[in-house]
Amino acid sequence: MRPKVAVFDFGCCEGCQLQLVNLEEALLDLVGLVDVRQWREAMSEHADDYEIALVEGSITRESEIPRLEAIRRQAKVLVALGACAHTGGINAMKNHMPMEQALEIVYGDKARWFDTIPARPLSAYVPVDAAVPGCPVDRQELVEVVKALLMGVTPALPTYPVCVECKMAENVCVFDLGLTCMGPVTRAGCRARCPSNGNRCLGCRGLVPEPNANAHKEILAEHGRTVEDILAEYRMFVSSAEVAQ
Amino acid sequence: MTLRVMEKGDLASFVERLIASEPGAVGPVRKDGKHVFARLASVEDLDLAYTTTLLPPKKYLFPPQETLLRFRLGAPPVVEPVLEAPPLVVIGVHPCDLRGIWATDRAFGDDHVDTNYRARREAITLIGADCLPDEHCFCTSVGSHLPEPASFDLFVTDIGDAVTVEIGSERGRALLERYARSREATAADLAGLQKRRHAKEAAVKARLNVDVQMLPLLLESVSTSPLWEQLGAKCLSCGNCNLVCPTCYCFDVGDLMQLNLEEGERIRRWDGCTLVDFATVAGGHNFRREAKSRVRHRYYRKFQYLMTRYGRSFCTGCGRCSRSCLAHINPPETINALLAEAEREEA
Amino acid sequence: MSTPLTRQIESLYLGRPATVTAVRTLTDKEKLFDVELADGPLGHEPGQFVEVSVFGYGEAPISVASSPTAPGGFQLCVRNVGRVTGALHRLEPGAMIAIRGPFGRGFPVDRMRNRDILFVAGGLGLAPLRSLIGYVMDRRSEFGHVTILVGARTPGELLFNDEYAGWARSPDTEVHVTVDRAAEGWTGHVGVITTLFPRIQVDPKTTTAVIVGPPVMYRFALAETFAKGVPEDQVYVSLERRMKCGVGKCGHCQINGIYVCQKGPVFAYAEIAGLEEAL
Repeated sequence: MRPKVAVFDFGCCEGCQLQLVNLEEALLDLVGLVDVRQWREAMSEHADDYEIALVEGSITRESEIPRLEAIRRQAKVLVALGACAHTGGINAMKNHMPMEQALEIVYGDKARWFDTIPARPLSAYVPVDAAVPGCPVDRQELVEVVKALLMGVTPALPTYPVCVECKMAENVCVFDLGLTCMGPVTRAGCRARCPSNGNRCLGCRGLVPEPNANAHKEILAEHGRTVEDILAEYRMFVSSAEVAQ
Repeated sequence: MTLRVMEKGDLASFVERLIASEPGAVGPVRKDGKHVFARLASVEDLDLAYTTTLLPPKKYLFPPQETLLRFRLGAPPVVEPVLEAPPLVVIGVHPCDLRGIWATDRAFGDDHVDTNYRARREAITLIGADCLPDEHCFCTSVGSHLPEPASFDLFVTDIGDAVTVEIGSERGRALLERYARSREATAADLAGLQKRRHAKEAAVKARLNVDVQMLPLLLESVSTSPLWEQLGAKCLSCGNCNLVCPTCYCFDVGDLMQLNLEEGERIRRWDGCTLVDFATVAGGHNFRREAKSRVRHRYYRKFQYLMTRYGRSFCTGCGRCSRSCLAHINPPETINALLAEAEREEA
Repeated sequence: MSTPLTRQIESLYLGRPATVTAVRTLTDKEKLFDVELADGPLGHEPGQFVEVSVFGYGEAPISVASSPTAPGGFQLCVRNVGRVTGALHRLEPGAMIAIRGPFGRGFPVDRMRNRDILFVAGGLGLAPLRSLIGYVMDRRSEFGHVTILVGARTPGELLFNDEYAGWARSPDTEVHVTVDRAAEGWTGHVGVITTLFPRIQVDPKTTTAVIVGPPVMYRFALAETFAKGVPEDQVYVSLERRMKCGVGKCGHCQINGIYVCQKGPVFAYAEIAGLEEAL
């Protein structure tokens, strides 16, 4: 019996679902292993008898909470797909300002037509069984998580930082290239995708479970970053402490 | 032991012929202003004027990730051990990294021989090369600055106009005879070699202020030093020091399945004792919960536990951990601070 | 039976093929597996462990829960706490697994012969201890007075509770059971395992103590044992650590300079007393 899967989204750019679509050959193999019952971005049919729910996006409006709770009631396994669902993601940057101000920045004089609440990860409202971190999710990791679920395993995320995978890839340290990097405090699992391609890590996968943030901030300062810079770095992806795992 | 001499042009053609004729040749090549051991397409790629590589040549003996078994599920499951051992000539290995290979040879070779390591080790030819140190090197303090005869197949030293080649094995001799033009060394060549070695020793600036053989004893008395607390507060637990170390050999093992969920492999991956969950058991208890105990464990492994077991320091003085530590934790400062503390207490 | 695992190449990491012949649910979290190797007996000592492979899920170190004196294969008592143990819990009789080992140093039965033995088992600690208890029961005349203390958090978490009466019926053997928290229908003793110590008589000159339990238990159980006068070199413990290889390579099980997979998991307390990371 192929497990029945559904894909949902809340406040997000749907880029993580796009990664799922972009799996191409692997997607076909995956689709052969599961029975996709509902996926707004990729198919028109939909059925509500799913067992595994892949949920993208953070919760940014009151009305989303009951919808998420309904998904949780139906799904045996609920997977947070991507940074927004897992940690609040980019959306949570607005949590550092009054909601009225956030509405005005986004909607201008139409702000009064909309409501918003601080962006929070799925785990702030319902139990989350597994997560695929990242902005966007790493396709290979996504496949590994689905495989694990099919094998009856709750996929565990690495508790070590991106540096581990970066060193294994034998990259020149981003700090030695004259940049600064969130890699030392960011949860691994992406195979150090950004540093391996000449970019610095922005921390999209969220903090490791026990980050030494004080020491890391001192290192950022030593490399010329101002207090404002450092706060901004830490607010971009990892501001929310409400992380599922 | 035989010493031969090559003209510099002849060294280049030797390398060129190794690249053309041997199944695989690797050596230090430039990468973003640093060096890494990588496949050589031509002698132009090889840059012997390097201080250190990001990762030591350990990666060819004990890769960051390697397959131990392949299996197909079923009743019964079919399981095949995997021993991948591509023949490889590693050119330009510095004495400290030769010492590193001595260390992993001990760790993987003594009792319970690690079959995967051994297979790779036997397929590798080591052509060493002398170096000039940078400010992080402290090889002279741990006695790894000179190439030991049994640790290489060939060892090349630039003595100015020419290079000397020490022959360390029959395999090395055969390569030299087959691919290189060389001549017997003269007294002047030998003097040149000596001079070069003295110059290198003099150039090593970082040092441990103690005879390395005293370290197991010193560490005996400083396990509760406040220094570990200070280092623990700075340590990011990022694992950089473990991952770049030529003698760190800890690993994790797990299974990876293919998408068909029928075939898979058992793989091992580098692990590091400074990482948070290195000593966490399945039930969740972490036997080294605090960063200070993990940093300390790493130092004790290098300078006490493994040293007591195998007789020599498991630190090669290569300086890679010093260079890669964003918090500037490094063996010379750490050891010297412990030493100073022990001396203060005695006084 | 044809051998299911090919073995053309020697490998340190290739296990011996084995079949799960029976599975028994012991508690909500623990199951007991009967295992038979395709190529002969395991040949273990009480207290040793094996590395168990469930292909696709990985390998985990599990201590052998049965005595080498027991007929047939051997038994593994497994708590469902992770990827491999979870996969083991889903296995049914007939499933094929692989076994490496036995590894490590077991209990020194020769040093214990003719002595009184005090067993102290907390929670899952009874699994490795049962291999020694079974050994002693099977060769009862070779040992002196036997005292067995068993503790668990709740009555439902008591392992092998159908065997306590049998042990107690052996000559010169007493069994005391306690739970930290009672449940409905529980008429036995309530309290942590150290609360059983006032009930027992220990002759420190003739007694060897064997203590196995979770990390939190050791300090208190050891203190009680020493308070009875048992010397440090007559107290044995079995230590749990993360282990990936079983052969002193992977580094995870190290306590200070000691590899638990090689020198342990069984230690005389005197051997580890000075090691900060041991308990």
